[in-house]
Amino acid sequence: MSGAILGVETSCDDSCAAVLSAEGVILSNVISSQAIHDKYGGVVPEIAARHHLELLTPAIDSALAQAGLGLEQIERVAVTQGPGLIGALLVGVGQAKAIAAARAIPLVAVDHLQGHVAANFISPDSFEPPFVCLIASGGHTLLARVDEHSSYALLGETLDDAAGEAFDKGARMLGLPFPGGPALEALAAGGDSEAFNFPTARNVKGFDFSFAGVKTALLYAIRDLGEEEATRQRADLAASYQRAIVEALVERLERALDADGCGRVAIGGGVAANGPLRERVARLGLESHIPARNLCTDNAAMIASAARFLPECSPAAALALDAYPSGARR
Amino acid sequence: MSRGRAVLAFDTATAATVVGLSVDGELVCELADRPAADERPRHAESLLSLCQEALAEAGIAWADLSRIGVGVGPGTFTGLRIGVATAQGLAQASAVPLVAVSTLEALALPVRTAEPTLQVAAVADARRGEAYIAAWSSGGEQTVGDQACPPQQLVAVLAAESATTIAVGDGALIFRKELEIGSIAVPEDRSALHQLAGGALCQLAASNEPLGAEALVPHYVRQPDAEISLQNRTESK
Ligand SMILES: [Zn+2]
Repeated sequence: MSGAILGVETSCDDSCAAVLSAEGVILSNVISSQAIHDKYGGVVPEIAARHHLELLTPAIDSALAQAGLGLEQIERVAVTQGPGLIGALLVGVGQAKAIAAARAIPLVAVDHLQGHVAANFISPDSFEPPFVCLIASGGHTLLARVDEHSSYALLGETLDDAAGEAFDKGARMLGLPFPGGPALEALAAGGDSEAFNFPTARNVKGFDFSFAGVKTALLYAIRDLGEEEATRQRADLAASYQRAIVEALVERLERALDADGCGRVAIGGGVAANGPLRERVARLGLESHIPARNLCTDNAAMIASAARFLPECSPAAALALDAYPSGARR
Repeated sequence: MSRGRAVLAFDTATAATVVGLSVDGELVCELADRPAADERPRHAESLLSLCQEALAEAGIAWADLSRIGVGVGPGTFTGLRIGVATAQGLAQASAVPLVAVSTLEALALPVRTAEPTLQVAAVADARRGEAYIAAWSSGGEQTVGDQACPPQQLVAVLAAESATTIAVGDGALIFRKELEIGSIAVPEDRSALHQLAGGALCQLAASNEPLGAEALVPHYVRQPDAEISLQNRTESK
């Protein structure tokens, strides 16, 4: 018995498949990025769903091939049930369910955010609960207290944009292509992060986040500078904007850690691939865990990792499994 | 136990989830989940459950199937994808060959058998005030290719060759008035001819050529809205 788990993740614009051993070691982790949404200035749900249908089968095939396993050696199928783009999710859910049914193996339905938390449980350097976890990406920004492998307690979340969304929108204002996060980070590398004093929503109480203020501040700064001057100071604007977002995230994280006292911290989500954020969290001087960049951005290994600790669907529930969209929490 | 050629075929392009299972050309089980007019489709919840139920009823295992047929539309985008993704997963796991079935052809098939002297049009609700249509001559030739059509053009497109035409499908019910004014006959509302049948799906699945899982794509007919507006922006530049 290999106990190997096949993971499937299609919540946004990456078609992902991975194989994890029973012990949580990655045997393969395939991420098929669609890279076609740039020209639309953002992920288009219908186009993402169409591409998943074409990319997922080859992604699963290559995940199995790279793991050196056939489907007959897979003993569990794990799939992202939500939240995410509903049309995109349904491609992964439909295919994963069918594989599990035809092979008569158990199906595990995984919450995408639980998947980001579970990226920290991947062997060999797994990080054990309890810890405080920051998940930040283009679709979500939240702080959670993780006491066990199978769930988390929500401490706070964004009141408006997600952190990754703030990166994307700032990048667009600075004339950078979509997706904005990596482009903005690259531009910021040559800028002065102290040049502009952008707000970090310090006055938002508790552990919630808000990125509307920093976005507006960048818009006004660009307007006040005028097009020519703003272009000349692009790198400084980008660096200052990035610093404000990173500080806003870390401030809340520190608040949560102060209140919690466990002194252990982990991060995840696409924004956790951001260099300055990773450095800033590492400098907190706490016991911290930052998964590799390709385990922070959306991937199926984290979904399979979460499934190691979650109950299997009953056979009838597996056949009837439906996806749930963004905003709908179970 | 030796078996004949078992064909499982299903369709999720319309609001209904329809499953058929045939052995050696004979329909042995037909199951459908047809939501009422005010209900949402339940493709995700129903499709695999109905398939499993059909197999169990006939005492057939997944691996015993000689092929799996899936309706590829045209129809609702999300419904189509649930069907195709399910078919891809089943084929991947069971190594059973996949066959694409045209939803409109399956809709028209029982009428073509019942009314062999007429031109038969399949007219499905395409939402946005339009219908997905296709038509076949009495000789069996497809006279109108799959397309989305506004109601005011239905008669002009379907009766172009002035053949006597009968139209079926949920779209034919919605646009009954437009069709009948153009002398296109529409069976009474309650007629089973307006519903996609599992038997027709199995029949087409048995006769069509198998495809690789990656060659199996929905027949969307319409482009995504974002693609259309991008093209309009590019053209107006
Ligand atoms: Zn994510």
